[in-house]
Amino acid sequence: MNKEIIRSSSQKGLLFGIVMIFLVLINFHLMASTMISKLMGTNVLRGSLPEARFFIIFLVLYAIWVGWSAASREGKTIHKLFEGLFAGLIAGLTVALFGLLLFYMLETQTDIRKYLTALSFPSMRFFLLDMGELGILVHFGLFTLLGLLGSALAVGLRSQKVAHFKQGVKTAITNLRLRITNALPESVNKYGKYGIYLLLLVILFLLPTRWGSYYNFVFGMVGLYVILGIGLNIMLGLSGQFMIGIAALFAMGAYSVALLNSPIPHGLMWGFWPSLAVGVVMAVIGGLLLGLPIMRLRGDYLGIVTLGFGEIIRILLNSDLLTDITGGPRGVQNIQQPTFLGTPFNDVMYAYLIIVAMAVSIFLYYRLENSRTGRAWLSIKEDALVAQATGIDVQKYKLLALCVGAAFAGLAGGIFAARNQFTGPNDHTLMVSINVLSVVIVGGLNSIPGIILGSFALRGLPELLRELETYRLLVFGALLVFMMLVRPDGLWPASRPDLEEKGSPGLKEDIEPAEEGRSND
Amino acid sequence: MESNLKSPPKLTRRNYSKIIRPIFGLLVFGSILWRLYEVLIAQQAYSAEIWVRLLISGLIIGGVYALIAIGYTLVYGILFMINFAHGEIMMIGTFAGYFLFEATKSINVAAEGSPPLSFSDAYPLISVILAFLVGMTVAATAGFFLEKIAYRPLRKAPRLVPLISAIGASFFLQNAAQLLFSPQVRDYTNPQAIARGSGWSLIINGSRVVITYTGALTFILSILLMIGLYVMVQKTKLGKAMRAVASDKNTAALMGIDVDAIISRTFIISGALAGAAGVMWGLHNGLVHFFVGFLPGIKAFTAAVLGGIGNIPGAMLGGMFLGLIESLGPTALGISYQLKDVIAFVIMIVILIFRPSGILGEVLSEEKV
Amino acid sequence: MTEYIIETIKVSKSFGGLIAVNEVDLQVPRGFIYSIIGPNGAGKTTLFNCISGFYTPESGNILYYGTPIQGMPTNFISSQGISRTYQNVRLFGNLTAMENVLIGLHNKLNSNLLDAVIHTPRSARENTWSLQEAVRLLEFVGLKGFGDYLANNLPYGLQRRLEIARALANNPRLLLLDEPTAGMNIQETTDLTQFIKRLRDELEISIILIEHDMKVVMDISDRISVLDYGMKIAEGSPSEIQSNSRVIEAYLGPGGAALAEKYQKQRRNSHA
Repeated sequence: MNKEIIRSSSQKGLLFGIVMIFLVLINFHLMASTMISKLMGTNVLRGSLPEARFFIIFLVLYAIWVGWSAASREGKTIHKLFEGLFAGLIAGLTVALFGLLLFYMLETQTDIRKYLTALSFPSMRFFLLDMGELGILVHFGLFTLLGLLGSALAVGLRSQKVAHFKQGVKTAITNLRLRITNALPESVNKYGKYGIYLLLLVILFLLPTRWGSYYNFVFGMVGLYVILGIGLNIMLGLSGQFMIGIAALFAMGAYSVALLNSPIPHGLMWGFWPSLAVGVVMAVIGGLLLGLPIMRLRGDYLGIVTLGFGEIIRILLNSDLLTDITGGPRGVQNIQQPTFLGTPFNDVMYAYLIIVAMAVSIFLYYRLENSRTGRAWLSIKEDALVAQATGIDVQKYKLLALCVGAAFAGLAGGIFAARNQFTGPNDHTLMVSINVLSVVIVGGLNSIPGIILGSFALRGLPELLRELETYRLLVFGALLVFMMLVRPDGLWPASRPDLEEKGSPGLKEDIEPAEEGRSND
Repeated sequence: MESNLKSPPKLTRRNYSKIIRPIFGLLVFGSILWRLYEVLIAQQAYSAEIWVRLLISGLIIGGVYALIAIGYTLVYGILFMINFAHGEIMMIGTFAGYFLFEATKSINVAAEGSPPLSFSDAYPLISVILAFLVGMTVAATAGFFLEKIAYRPLRKAPRLVPLISAIGASFFLQNAAQLLFSPQVRDYTNPQAIARGSGWSLIINGSRVVITYTGALTFILSILLMIGLYVMVQKTKLGKAMRAVASDKNTAALMGIDVDAIISRTFIISGALAGAAGVMWGLHNGLVHFFVGFLPGIKAFTAAVLGGIGNIPGAMLGGMFLGLIESLGPTALGISYQLKDVIAFVIMIVILIFRPSGILGEVLSEEKV
Repeated sequence: MTEYIIETIKVSKSFGGLIAVNEVDLQVPRGFIYSIIGPNGAGKTTLFNCISGFYTPESGNILYYGTPIQGMPTNFISSQGISRTYQNVRLFGNLTAMENVLIGLHNKLNSNLLDAVIHTPRSARENTWSLQEAVRLLEFVGLKGFGDYLANNLPYGLQRRLEIARALANNPRLLLLDEPTAGMNIQETTDLTQFIKRLRDELEISIILIEHDMKVVMDISDRISVLDYGMKIAEGSPSEIQSNSRVIEAYLGPGGAALAEKYQKQRRNSHA
């Protein structure tokens, strides 16, 4: 065995061991065991611990993962197996040492919950699988053996045959799709797209009435983030302006609807629709006011100034200075609901409203992206100097992008305030801006499916996985890093449109372009 | 594509953008000057000792900001990325110092039979030094691993990608701290010898102004660290290598400099400075919780931008400047203290609009075509 | 109305003490292919940057159809019919070739935000027209079939052509070409030379050319100026420039003229 193998696999093992300890220190193993227990049909009462055997299942899965990831992709089989075994051994040793420490603390009744909140005595006992010192040995043995098993699995499943099999399945699916496409009449292929849209519309129409108000709430959140994401994408993805203060523009929309529609502080009752329009206009004005002085700033400087702008708005909303106008830290309550045929909006109506707003936003976005204006924005993002020398008034178009993006943010804000019947400074923190930024980047810049996917993944999933509630932001942070390491172009990267055929009517292309050069590969 | 030799073009154009900035500037500076006049000359609302008090607290907080800002600037200078998780590195340093103090408090060094005496009470100076050392070491380690895990694989990616990774790392560290140490706000250790609030008294206009020991410690230590850093960057081989990597990574690599190692060391150094700032923050403000690094982090980044990001003296100056503005600004302008951050951000925006590269930042000539 | 499309009068531009362009006078008649040559760092590109508006000259005038344009924003200058290409190709790399040309058409189009959103008949017409025009331009420069490639993925020679297509989309009266044949092989260079001639002959575009390849320059130029250390040291027809001793010295150093003469004499002798 050469040194390199030992070094890398012991590093892997140590890393996994430390991560395991970390998970225990934040009580993640309890949560995971509880979830496994529920999945296997044994409910765990609130406040009580799951049975130790469910923790063992968690450990087994984790230890197999250790071996799997320790086994390198290339090299001799025996080396891979050794790597798995050795990484498992090191991980087991690390965890066992930690177990020994816990055992010692249990024996001496050392209570350090003041410093590490998760380390209560029951939790320590649970970690030792309710077996005392024997648990330490079980941990060690599990990791070592299953590390070997994991690497064996890796050897088996990553082999050539499996790869061939996967390839075969892929080709079969592609062939099947081609067959179906060829078999169907041309009209179906041509209009099938619209059929799918129609189906989607029907589903979107039916769903809100079926799945209850909680899902409507989550869905609404996702939808609003899609709109916000589109707004930010116009600034960031199309025109390349690094905007971190979108929460401020969101706040302009929200506060417009709130203040024009609530008994306190102004007693104005304009109704939802006019005030929504005012909200959009206010956001546009906000974008303009922000944009005018800072047009010459580039990159990170622009980012930090917009961040500052967002913070200024939030602090002002939170301060005593504006309490009379904006309601101060307590925000604006009892926002009047819009009505439909005389009845105030319920959650289903709001879901519809958000669907419509989302659809309109997506439609507008596509129209904008493939227009003279959209291309001007894209050129500014690519190379502002050359864009200007090509005849584009860079400052004007940058400002325009800020204003248009702001309009979307204002729209989302207005709907948000009305739906919650409340808005306050805490709805418009830096976190909102960062969330939107993450949605757009994780989804994929300039990609609508990406933004939808991103807001579902980052806003919808965490809401739905209530079990993970405590760990939501932790997982969110880790996910962001992981995404950037693995898929930096986002979940659904954008592709550029094919335009040449559109511009050459009646002409069939005489050159078959090579695959790898195409824009949408 | 028809023939072009037609009539000459008509040349008229109005340029609005050139008018807007001066008007904006006049408005902002005018209103600031007017408020200053009202508060300082027309009303004379505050006496000298209040100003001295504010000045002292501004310098202290400015020193902390400057230390953190240097970390931002060092990393930005080399990688052109905002290390968004830098505030969390500071938080880690604060916690490390806290745990060390707690440990020294629990060690009993009293002789047999005499009343218990903790290590931290018996040797206050040593325990404070130890706390700083441990805080700096732990934060530096955290910085090292942060770079290795979250940034290094992204070195060639577009600039937004490492930024998002940094935001993710920031979330992760914050919430990990919350889950590990619980969300409660803890009292930071208050060593008897330099207890908060105690210090040297000055008598100004017949009233007492206290220069606290913790404040003096913070200020002096931050100045010393800054001088040390400056000397290191200017004089040592490592500093030279850092500057070389900052100006051109490829050429530096050709000259035999291990670029990865230099970047790692940069993170270690900036982490150590943030750790020191964290312990100072804890000692001076007396609080520690998982969110403790967030606001100072953002403020310090603002300070780094103010001074001209990538420029070390700029970060020091920017930090001090921001501390002073925060402390003196609300009073000088006669605004509620709640709005101190607004003043800081507004000043930053105004400065950036008129000097887009910061106070000491190099004035870039028009971009080369 | 003057006969010159562009005229520079004592134009100077310096960078922190270094005088890059020193009181240069040029007169470019309409319909000419006018070349600017000179050693590296002679200020040729700086002069281009002054004409296209990236730099504002410290002194002197740049007249376009007899009207001063120095200090005007680049987008305005471009909208008046001055297009350019760049020494190091600067395309919008992550956009397709079609999109690059469509962006080049910016000045020729009028549709605004509202048109984009509601597709008025006018804007729909304009849209179709612009797509067809872009395809036509790509065909003209020999990029047919490459329209949907990302600009970054095109081979270098095609990138140069695409850059010219983008410049032509503006329907320019004056085209500034900055070392268009740099990095091309002999065949590509010959093609491009013919192409530049076609631009002038078919589209009647006046062209100012910066070029290091003397064969190209002598082949197609109607008139040549030579810059050295920011100053114009010679101007004339290709044959005049070839025999100008100051030009030879600028390229070969002091004493170069005598050297060249000796060399030529030797060659003549050996041939005889």
